[in-house]
This record gives sequence, structure tokens and C-alpha cells, in this order.
Amino acid sequence: MAKMTLEELRNLRESKKKEMVQRDGDEKSAQIIIGMGTCGIAAGAKEAFDAFLDELNSHEIKDTRITQTGCMGLCFSEPTVEVAVPGMPRVIYGNVTDKVARRIVREHIIEKALVSDHIFDKPAADIIK
Amino acid sequence: MHATLCDMIMDLVQNSIEADASEITLSVEETEEKLMVVITDNGKGMSAETLEKVKDPFYSDGLKHRHRKVGLGLPFLFQTAEMTGGTAGIESQEGVGTTVTFTLDRSNVDVPMFGDFTTAAMTLMTYGFDVNLKIERSIGEKNYAISRAELNDALGDLNDAESLVLLKEFIASQEADLGTL
Repeated sequence: MAKMTLEELRNLRESKKKEMVQRDGDEKSAQIIIGMGTCGIAAGAKEAFDAFLDELNSHEIKDTRITQTGCMGLCFSEPTVEVAVPGMPRVIYGNVTDKVARRIVREHIIEKALVSDHIFDKPAADIIK
Repeated sequence: MHATLCDMIMDLVQNSIEADASEITLSVEETEEKLMVVITDNGKGMSAETLEKVKDPFYSDGLKHRHRKVGLGLPFLFQTAEMTGGTAGIESQEGVGTTVTFTLDRSNVDVPMFGDFTTAAMTLMTYGFDVNLKIERSIGEKNYAISRAELNDALGDLNDAESLVLLKEFIASQEADLGTL
């Protein structure tokens, strides 16, 4: 892998932007918020971040933002991740390992189905099947 | 305890972000024998009284989590340095900023693995605060430096999935040039 310059990075971004505009003009549709406090880092939040990014990239999903926050107060279930998809309840998932992160991308973001066995907060019990 | 030194570094840089710093420099220098890390910020700093307490894992200023009585980031660092014959230090001045420095002996069997610096750097660069983080990294004669301001200028929104993929590729190319990948 050749060492990339900032100019090359800028050019790559510009070419990808053009592709995006040609594909569609939709706004970002999903947001993934990863708890990256001391507890999250120690439990593997960095690996979860990597897995989300890799899975989104492998499915060519571009309309998603990944952000980070501190501890969400659920240290016992780290890594914790909040996922917001328009038209679906906001959900906090717990114990989000590499495999679970990939499931969240496939099931929640792509198939629009909650990953019920990892929900730690929200939505109400009657929504979770 | 953190599994890797990169996890520890992330935790320490986050302290600087949370101290309302606008400029943070993370320097990570490796030689065959040693790993030297310096984190400098221009955040709110600490009083001499607070500085004395930061090595205590059961001390927290209570600002981030009102009911918590622990603060583990710095104690993890001092414990690791002590256990492995390394050195760690912290200097701080209220209203000026803080500098955390540590040096670890890479040959000590109890020094944790270094870990994945590419993902750690990507994570720190996209942490979501308006901070200009500069990373200076060197191994032997080879080195690179990147700043959040430059990356923002090249990529725009760093938290966009597309930008993140390119950012990771960019940092990985710098690491590959150092010979770590």
C-alpha cells in the first residue's frame, strides 16, 4: 500500500462525491452512535466500530453516519450502541461484539428488523417480538 | 485494565477532549526498545490539589457522571508503568493545559500489546468534538503527521460512512509506510 497524500485523499473524496450525486440525492438515513467511554473501549467498542464500518462498506451503504459518545451508563453491557433509522424506534443495543455489529447492519439497517436479543433500552416491551 | 496500549492512549486523549481543549497533540514514538507517548492539550488543566488525586482510581471530579466514584483512565496508565518498569508522568496548570507522558520498555513481558493504531487514530479523529487533534507518529527514521483540521478540509464530514472508509484507508497507508501493517 503506497503512502497516500492529503491531495490524493481529497481527490478520492471528490470522485466518490460525484458518484453519490449521480446515484441519488437522498439525505443520510441512519445513524450509529457508539459508546466510547473507558468501559466501552475496554469491552471492545473500537472493534465494534471497525466491524460496523467494514460491514457498511461491504454492502456499499453510504447513507449512514457513525458517531461516538461517552459512557451511556450501561457499563455492564458494553460495548453499547444506539441506532437510529428513520421510521423505526431508536434502540440501544448492548454487548455489541464484532459479530453483533455486523448483524445490526444486516438486520436493522438493511432489513429494517430489530436485533431483539441485544436490545438493552427502548423501545417498549410490546414492540419487541 | 485495557487490553492494548492503543485503548489506553484513546482513553487518555479523550480526557483532553473532555477538558475542553481546542488543540491536542498526540505523539507516539517507537524504537526497538521503547514506546514513548506524549499527549499535550490546552484544556482547562488541573489544580495542584486535583493533580495529586488523579492516580487514585476511586477519585473522580464528578462532573461527567454525578454519582460515580471512580476514574480509571490515568490509574490504568500509572499501574501499567509501575508494573512494567516504565515511567509515566502528568503535568498540569489550571487554565493552561495538561501534558501526559509515558515511556514503556517494549521488552518487558508484562507490557500490553500495542494494538491497532489505525482504528484508534480513526476513532479519535472522528470523536465528534470541535478539537484540532494532531497525531505525530514515528518508528525509527520513518514518520508521519496528520491533523483533524487537514482531514476535515480533505474529506468534509468525517463521520459520514464514505469519509470514514477513506480516512481508514489513508491512516492505514501511513501505518503501512511505517511498516506496522
